[in-house]
Amino acid sequence: MENTVVRIKDLVKRYGDLIALDHFELEIKDGEIFGLLGPNGSGKTTTINCLLSLLSFDKGDIEIFGKKMTPVSYDIKKEIGVIMQNVAVFDELTVYENIDYFCGLYISDKAKRRQYVEEAIKFVGLEDFRKFYPKKLSGGLLRRLNIACGIAHKPKLIILDEPTVAVDPQSRNRILEGIQELNRNGATVIYTSHYMEEVEQICTRIAIMDKGRKVAEGTKDELKRMIKNTETITIEILELPGKVLGEVAGLPHIYDADYVDGRLVLSCSGGKHNLTRVLDVLHKHELGFGRVYTELPTLNDVFLEITGKALRDKED
Amino acid sequence: MQVFKAMFKIVKKRLPSAMVYIIVFVTISVLVTNASSKDNQFKASRMEISVFDHDDTPESRALTEYLGKNNDIVEIEDDKDKIIDALYYKKLNYALIINEGYAEKLKAGETADLFGNYHLDECFSTVYIGQFLNEYTSSIKAYLAMGKTSDEAIALAEEALSVQTEVNMLRVDKGGNSHYSVDFAGYFQYMPYVLISVILAVVCQVLVTMNKKDIRYRTNCSCIKNSKYTAQLFIGSGLFVLAVWLLLIAVGAVLNEEMYTGRAWYAVLNSLIFSVIVAAMAVFIASFDPKDNVLSLITQITGLGMSFFCGIFIPMDVLSDGVLSVARFMPAYWYIRANNMIADIEAFDKDKIFQCYAMQLAFIAAFVTLTLLVRRIRYSGASIGTAVKKAAVS
Ligand SMILES: Nc1ncnc2c1ncn2[C@@H]1O[C@H](COP(=O)(O)OP(=O)(O)OP(=O)(O)O)[C@@H](O)[C@H]1O
Ligand SMILES: [Mg+2]
Repeated sequence: MENTVVRIKDLVKRYGDLIALDHFELEIKDGEIFGLLGPNGSGKTTTINCLLSLLSFDKGDIEIFGKKMTPVSYDIKKEIGVIMQNVAVFDELTVYENIDYFCGLYISDKAKRRQYVEEAIKFVGLEDFRKFYPKKLSGGLLRRLNIACGIAHKPKLIILDEPTVAVDPQSRNRILEGIQELNRNGATVIYTSHYMEEVEQICTRIAIMDKGRKVAEGTKDELKRMIKNTETITIEILELPGKVLGEVAGLPHIYDADYVDGRLVLSCSGGKHNLTRVLDVLHKHELGFGRVYTELPTLNDVFLEITGKALRDKED
Repeated sequence: MQVFKAMFKIVKKRLPSAMVYIIVFVTISVLVTNASSKDNQFKASRMEISVFDHDDTPESRALTEYLGKNNDIVEIEDDKDKIIDALYYKKLNYALIINEGYAEKLKAGETADLFGNYHLDECFSTVYIGQFLNEYTSSIKAYLAMGKTSDEAIALAEEALSVQTEVNMLRVDKGGNSHYSVDFAGYFQYMPYVLISVILAVVCQVLVTMNKKDIRYRTNCSCIKNSKYTAQLFIGSGLFVLAVWLLLIAVGAVLNEEMYTGRAWYAVLNSLIFSVIVAAMAVFIASFDPKDNVLSLITQITGLGMSFFCGIFIPMDVLSDGVLSVARFMPAYWYIRANNMIADIEAFDKDKIFQCYAMQLAFIAAFVTLTLLVRRIRYSGASIGTAVKKAAVS
């Protein structure tokens, strides 16, 4: 049987009139990499802060490792590693000193700490930057330092709140691989992000949030099965008469057809040979076309279908 | 100890800029003290004197001999041009001519026209010798009038004058009271400015850094107790303030060339109380989370403001009543009042000094209260470390 590591029951958090968390429920099991996916302002950080008892909340119960979480649950806090959305390091301390400081809040044995700090430095690949001050680090390296500060004490539960914001793809991949390695070494991970690709790549289970509510939950395959979209077909066509568009839209399994900026985008649900049928129609009307590609549904499609809006603008 | 250690690493990074204040202060103090002690040495130092005894009586010879004890007698030809040359080339400070009839006139109780002299300009040496001769002859006249013989009168006058000289030198050396000179009072007078500048710059900065929201959140996630965190911040700040104060007190003792004694202890206590005020002020300012540039602005304004209003840079008796009535609402005013009394600039009054201490202690209490108030207001929204509010579940 899997053990529940985190259980959030009926959590309500208000900021004045704004309901940041609206009867939010969550259960995370031992050994998972749990993704909390949601657009900006959906309440991810608020959830994490409530979970860690940093914020008081209006209603609800939070249990971690089967025990009620309170601001003074030091035995629980000891086992948690936190990587905050805002980088929290001392500008006045070097990379090494920063990691040592945060590790030292948990581990007082000096020899053990030295070893842990070294391991953390190696883990995030900051070996050449031990004596650097945070101000001298690039954005990606700073994020890695932030992560090292959170995981140096080898916690059983690691919470990462958007650790890859403003990080270049190379650094990002390194971070994601690192998280998977931590998980393989036995840590349960909670990962929040508004980048669906990241969540798809590493998370074993995902909850999608919107406006303080959980709108869907499951593995990525389960989530994709929840929606009718199974395939999106895109065809570049210079000119498409409205009559033809109507004919294409009328084909079986195609539930949505759009022609914008010389691109015909078709959403299909189920069925086989959808692409062949579409191309047949174009042939019949002797219409030439450019590139053709099909995509399997993404979590963005899931979010789009459930909430009626895109998870985020094309690229930010 | 983690928090404490991190604090001191931050202090270390901030220290160089703060040390500038201390170094400038100490350097100026050393210069001022040296300049004035050289002055004292000059007064006490021997002078080069030539004596031309035109009277040549036992009395005049006694005077020449007495002058020779405390000064160097230079033999020189009795020729106006040569004397002036010698004065000009600084071979000589003063040439004294004992006029003929010196002994006669003394016995007759006359003190006019006893001497003639050559000197270059009116400097300390000429005034000093003039005054000395005046006292010497008046004393002899007085003893003669009491019926003493010439020999006795001369011996008694010399005795009295040597005692008086010592007393004079002491007064010149130590100012109003023997344990707390005006020079030394100056050192303590400027100390508040240094304390404000250094403590605000360092302690405020460190507290602001350690209490930054992101850092506090992150720290609150760890298993260090909130009370322990605060306690370490408190002890760390306290130790720093104590160290700065002790340093300034130690430098003061070195500059004064003796351990604190007598009244000087009042000044030591005064400065300790003021250090605590500044520490409380630092905690108060830090509770507003000022940005770096705002903090340095506050430090400048507080340091310079109090310095100009409360008699640190400008002596209090020069300040207008209007300024002083405003200054009463600043802690440095009471510090300087106490300092002035200790230095005899104002009449020394133990009770009034303790009243000044009490006023300063009141400022500490006020800052502590205000700090608690500000913290309550600022953190009432997002509770840091307060218990989770349980809403009534219906
Ligand atoms: N201290 C606060 N006071 C008032 N409102 C707040 C506060 N913190 C957050 N909010 C609001 O609560 C909502 C949820 O914010 P939260 O930071 O949890 O979102 P998020 O999912 O973490 O977003 P992001 O991806 O931008 O980090 C937002 O509408 C935000 O404006
Ligand atoms: Mg967030």
